[in-house]
Amino acid sequence: MVNYTSNEPPNRAADAAQIRKKGSAINERLTEQKSIYLQIGEMIETDILRGILLEEEQVPSTNELAKLYTINPATAAKGVGLLVDEGILYKRRGIGMFVAPGARDKILQKRRAAFAANHIAPLLAEARSLGITRDELLEMIGETEL
Amino acid sequence: MSLKCEHIVKTYSGRDVLQDVSVEFQPGKIYGLIGRNGAGKTTLLSILTAQNPASAGTVTLDGEKVWENRSALEKLCFSREISGSAESGISAMKVKEYLRIASTYYEHWDKALEKKLVDLFQLDVKKKIGKQSKGMLSMVTIILALCAKAPYTLLDEPVAGLDVVAREQFYKLLLDEYTATGRTFVISTHIIEEAAPLLEEIVILHEGKVLVEGNTQEFLDTMAYVSGRDADVDAATAGLEVHHTETVGRSKGVTVFLRPGQRINESYDVTVQPVSLQQAFVALCGEGEKHEA
Repeated sequence: MVNYTSNEPPNRAADAAQIRKKGSAINERLTEQKSIYLQIGEMIETDILRGILLEEEQVPSTNELAKLYTINPATAAKGVGLLVDEGILYKRRGIGMFVAPGARDKILQKRRAAFAANHIAPLLAEARSLGITRDELLEMIGETEL
Repeated sequence: MSLKCEHIVKTYSGRDVLQDVSVEFQPGKIYGLIGRNGAGKTTLLSILTAQNPASAGTVTLDGEKVWENRSALEKLCFSREISGSAESGISAMKVKEYLRIASTYYEHWDKALEKKLVDLFQLDVKKKIGKQSKGMLSMVTIILALCAKAPYTLLDEPVAGLDVVAREQFYKLLLDEYTATGRTFVISTHIIEEAAPLLEEIVILHEGKVLVEGNTQEFLDTMAYVSGRDADVDAATAGLEVHHTETVGRSKGVTVFLRPGQRINESYDVTVQPVSLQQAFVALCGEGEKHEA
């Protein structure tokens, strides 16, 4: 990919998020590079993956999420709704949203399936534009601890 | 059930400030009203609340005309910017007095909330309006809007004079009030970047006309920023509505507005990024503002 970064709006929020990748994902900051409702869904997923939210445990309400991020409750509800549609969260009538049994596995499967597209494709694109060969790349990966 | 204006025209000394403006505000939502200085925002808000007569057109609340209709007006609160200047006629009034008058006007005035907010903002209510800073006067308009408890609350530039901490406080207070009551809020603001995540719906006024009306996220989904080599950007966006072109040497960046069914041709080597509400607004309403790269 040939990109002239001079014309791209700076992505400081995302840069900062890179530095701060510790602790609870729900406490991460929002970036402008992705719709907020998608980020809300991903943050809850990350908390489930890391065991910060356990299966059969209640997740914050849409009003709580709205106040935490200072966003419209409808946006928070849309993000939570995505996870309900995927069977990662479920609703207990009159009580709230809970992490579904098997949610962690589901998220793992989903993220693994998307790993190549989300992470390897941009890595290869960058490698190509820098003239890094396939062998060089494999060697770098081999030298890097997982 | 909604606050609705249809075909509103407002003429001031031969100039059309509003030209055929029709907007509907549904109950239970937070609306953002954005536009450049002079776009007609304050005029529209004052016409919606019958504080200013329209030259033509109608305003209705739940189907009933608002003009000189007490039962409709009781459901509306327009908290306009307060001027501390001597000409405003209230500069000699103490804030305490101002709030007391408001509390008698609005039937459901929340006295406890008023006290809480005065304490939170550390407002000196014994000081005259003419002696208050711009930020303090913004706080008074916020207190009025929140305490009036009107089903439809319209705020004109509530955060204009506030520092960043007070603005954050306002956004949180607004959410507290909104989640607790589900009241409708219409907020005009120039600080778009901060307010955008709170606004479920937006209305963009431009030169006296409604340029955009709808769900904020759906509107943003129709826009994108495309950058790369100039020829590639041109090819990827061929046939699309392009705004706000910026070039640096061979590099080019454009904001595109996609009509239904249109898409960016991503087979070209370009970067496509989402745009924020502020970027979208500048792209659509900032044209004619040429600047050198």
